[in-house]
Amino acid sequence: MPEFLTRALIEVLLLSVAGGLLGTWIVLRRLAFFTHAAGSATFPGLVVASPWGIPAQVAALGAGLLYAGGLERLVRKRNVAPDAATALLLVLALAGGTILASDAYPAGAGVDRLLFGTLLGLTDGDLAMSAAVAVAALAGTAALGRTWLATGFDPQAAPALHIRTGRGDALLLAGLALTVVAALPAVGALLVGTLLVVPAATARLLTDRLRTLQLLAVTLAAAEGVGGLLLAYQYDLPPGPAIALLGGAAYALAAVAATKR
Amino acid sequence: MTEELLRTAGVRAGYVPSVDVLRDLDFAVDAGQSVGVLAPNGGGKTTLFRTLLGELTPRAGDVTLDAPVAAVPQGDHARLDFPVTALDVTLMGAYARTPWYRRIAKADRERAEAALERVGMADRRDARYGTLSGGQRRRVLIARALLQDARILLLDEPFAGVDRTSEERILHVLDELVAEGRALLIATHDVEQARRWDRVLCLNGRQVAFGPPADTLTAPILRETYGAELVVVGDGDGEEAICAPHHDCGGH
Repeated sequence: MPEFLTRALIEVLLLSVAGGLLGTWIVLRRLAFFTHAAGSATFPGLVVASPWGIPAQVAALGAGLLYAGGLERLVRKRNVAPDAATALLLVLALAGGTILASDAYPAGAGVDRLLFGTLLGLTDGDLAMSAAVAVAALAGTAALGRTWLATGFDPQAAPALHIRTGRGDALLLAGLALTVVAALPAVGALLVGTLLVVPAATARLLTDRLRTLQLLAVTLAAAEGVGGLLLAYQYDLPPGPAIALLGGAAYALAAVAATKR
Repeated sequence: MTEELLRTAGVRAGYVPSVDVLRDLDFAVDAGQSVGVLAPNGGGKTTLFRTLLGELTPRAGDVTLDAPVAAVPQGDHARLDFPVTALDVTLMGAYARTPWYRRIAKADRERAEAALERVGMADRRDARYGTLSGGQRRRVLIARALLQDARILLLDEPFAGVDRTSEERILHVLDELVAEGRALLIATHDVEQARRWDRVLCLNGRQVAFGPPADTLTAPILRETYGAELVVVGDGDGEEAICAPHHDCGGH
């Protein structure tokens, strides 16, 4: 097996830990569209990172924070409905990134790598970041899982249980942002949902138990990630779409199984 | 000698500067006392509960609490699709005292099961919360409040949309809680039922009255409390004929 493929497999296995665990909360807390848009919002940052000489992760995080700040302002100060505000920023980020890319990448080469991920060129830094978010997701789930559960179950009643909902939510969103950034090299800005949303949404169809849901989401993310990478290698595809297609097929199978249950 | 658990003095509270949603709160509740809270929609019931829970700081006056407070919400904001069982929801009552690095203590698990037993839900402990009936869900929320070790319980419309079995069970449990020395504040629209509590607190943007049912459930006070929302049925000359809004008048 070529070394780059081994690296890619390790990367996707590490990402599946955070993807599955935080993905469970994304699905339960109905943050799937927010997450998808957060991934896409990093696109302009990724485009300018290399020409401007800043690390891709930093540029992506910067763009992601701009998105989160913009969303907060639109929803709270301007009273825009959250999904409309999210859609607006998603469109603007993709458009901005595309216009910037037409300057930075005259032939369009490299843009699809930013949008859909790559098997090649995953660095030690990428692997280290994915390992870090895997550890952070495990620690976060152990330490804050109860807070996330109670807040998600009934946000209005949670304060009366003397639970610090604000801090829990802030840490969940921070963890989510870091996981999105870590997932960018492998699956691309447009398809972070393949690891962060699809496996957990599939698992949700199959179980009503939180612990089982989390285990199943991690397992599905790992299986779909590895399968997708091997498909991508075999047929020379970008890894993001290959993983997404497998994820979509698994979701369809689970949906059929769930209706028969 | 009675033990006072809760006192408000000159309390004013609100959400935006210089607009009081609730003012003139002056009442005290003893251990082993039940208080029915009557208020029209927007009359300040939610503001009262949020103030007592410490979620809202009064802008004037004092709230003195000599025991922990827990709330039993209506639960209509709860996500019924969440993967939690009746026992999971009850255990949330132990979250605040469980350090983040610990699992929930075995003793708390046993107490959660005992609390479910007490509200008659032991046999449904593993049922998903969303599959329970409205009355059963309310009983689980009471079990959760019991696990919070609170001596002051705030119950928001505990009988609204509740089946007869649950209502009887809830009434029985509330009587037991009063007997063991807790203080209960029960928000209700049901004037008839308010007669069974030790005290009645009438709110309409301010404290209209506080006292025994015989002194507070009078036509003039109820008219002041509910204003235009008050519906008078029958001959209209006595309390029997008065019916608050949203209240099943039970054929009066």
